[in-house]
Amino acid sequence: MLFVAALLYPLSGLFAPVGSWQWDGDIPGSTLASVATSLELTAIALLVIAAIGTPIAWHLARKSGRRSILWEAAILISVLLPPLALGILLSLAFGPTTWIGSLLLRMGLASSNSPLAFTVTQVYVGMGYYILAARAAFTAVPAELETMAALLGRSPAQVFWRVTFPLSRLGLAAALSIAWVRTLGEFGAIVVTAYYPAGMPVQLWINLQDRGLPAVMPLLVVFLVSALPLPWLAYILARRRHPHHA
Amino acid sequence: MLDAHIVKRRRSFTVDVRIRAAAGERLAIFGPSGAGKSSILSCIAGLERPDAGEIRVGETRYFPPPLPLERRFLAYLTQDDLLFPHLSVAENVRFSLSAEAERKNRDWVAELRQSLGLEALWHAPAGRLSGGQARRAALARMLARRPPLVLLDEPFAGLDRQVVRELIRLLDRWQEKLRFTLLLVGHEAEVVERLCPRVLALEQGRVVQEGAFADLRAKPATKVLAQLLAPL
Repeated sequence: MLFVAALLYPLSGLFAPVGSWQWDGDIPGSTLASVATSLELTAIALLVIAAIGTPIAWHLARKSGRRSILWEAAILISVLLPPLALGILLSLAFGPTTWIGSLLLRMGLASSNSPLAFTVTQVYVGMGYYILAARAAFTAVPAELETMAALLGRSPAQVFWRVTFPLSRLGLAAALSIAWVRTLGEFGAIVVTAYYPAGMPVQLWINLQDRGLPAVMPLLVVFLVSALPLPWLAYILARRRHPHHA
Repeated sequence: MLDAHIVKRRRSFTVDVRIRAAAGERLAIFGPSGAGKSSILSCIAGLERPDAGEIRVGETRYFPPPLPLERRFLAYLTQDDLLFPHLSVAENVRFSLSAEAERKNRDWVAELRQSLGLEALWHAPAGRLSGGQARRAALARMLARRPPLVLLDEPFAGLDRQVVRELIRLLDRWQEKLRFTLLLVGHEAEVVERLCPRVLALEQGRVVQEGAFADLRAKPATKVLAQLLAPL
C-alpha cells in the first residue's frame, strides 16, 4: 500500500499552488495546436509502427539463429539510445544537407521541423519498444497451434488472424500502449528534429519558458489524460473481445 | 495412395524408410520409443523436412520440394490435442471448413458431435476441456473435412482404457465409412493390432519386419520386437 502511495505521489503535483492556471504561453492558440499535432502525428506514427513492427515481431518470435540475433541487437540499440542522442543522430542522418534530406526537399518534403520529421522521429522512438513487447506477446502463443491451423488448410494470413492475433491481442494491446505513451511523451529527440510543429511535450517546455508553471498546468492535464486512457481503452477492449481466453 | 521414401538424419542414426499404402488401407508403424516413427509422420505432415527421398499422396507430390502445410490434405493427430483455446469446441471442429464446406457438411458435423458425445460441450471454450474431452474434440476437428489421409501419432497416450476402447471403435467405424488411408504410429501392441492389419516394424530408423500383425506376434524378427510384443 505504501509502495502504491509512493508510486502515485508525484500526481499530487497537480494540486500544487502555482497560481491561477492559464491555457497559452506567449502565442495564443499554440497550446491547442500542440494537442492536435501530438494526437494526429502520434496516431500516424503508431499506425506505421504497428504495420512495420508487427510482422518483424512475429518473425523474431518464431525464428532463431544468427540473423535474429542481429535483428535483436539492432532493435536493442534503437531502444537504448538516449533520446537526445537519437534526435541529434536523426538530424545528422536525415537533415536537409544530407542526400536523403535534399532528395525529400526536392519532392517538397522538409526533413526537419516538419510533420514528416516529427512522425519519423516518433517512429524511431517507438518502434523498438513496440517490437520487443509484441515479440513477447507472439512468443506466448504456442507455435504448434499455428502449425495445426496450417495443417487444417488455413493460409498463413488466416492462421495469423484466426489464431495468432486473437491469442496475442492482450499482449499486442500492451505493446501498442507502450509505444503510444513512449512516442506521445517523447521530448529529447523531437526537440532536436521537430521543434516546429510543436507537440505537447515541446509546447510544455515553451509555455514553461514563456509564463512559468501556471501556463504548464492545463496542458499537463491534457497531456496526462491523452497519454493514459487510450492504452487503458485498448487493453479493456482486448480483454472484452477475448471471452474464451480469460 | 501414399508412396513415400523418407530419409531423415537423426543424431545417432538415419531414418530410411519406404512406405506404400493404398487408398483406404490401414497401416501401422510399430516399434520402440526413439526408433524414428514420429519423424516419418512429421515428414509426411510437413513439420520436418526429409534430407532426401520423395513423398507422394495421391497425385500430389509433398516432397521435394516441400509442399506448404496448408496444401497438404491430411489430418494429423498427436497426443497433444492442440485445440485452439480461444475458440469454442464448435468453432474448433468447424475450423477447417470454408463457409460452403460448412453448409455441405452440416449433417456430418452433427454426426461427429453426436457420436463423440460433444453436444453438452459444443459451445464450451476448448481451453477448459478435460483430457478425454479434448481428445474427442480434436478427433472431430480432424475428421470434419473428410481427409483422405489420417496420420495418428500415439493418439491415445495418457487416456484411460475405456476412453481408448470407445475412440478405437469410432475410428474403426469412420474409417470404414470415409475410406481414408490410416497411418498409425504406436508402441502399444494392443492398439496397433486393433486398428491396423498391416504393420511396419521399425528399429533405429530401418524397417526390420513387415506384414500382418499376427505374423509379427508369432515370429518377431528381432529381440527388441519380441520384448515389445511380450505380455507384461
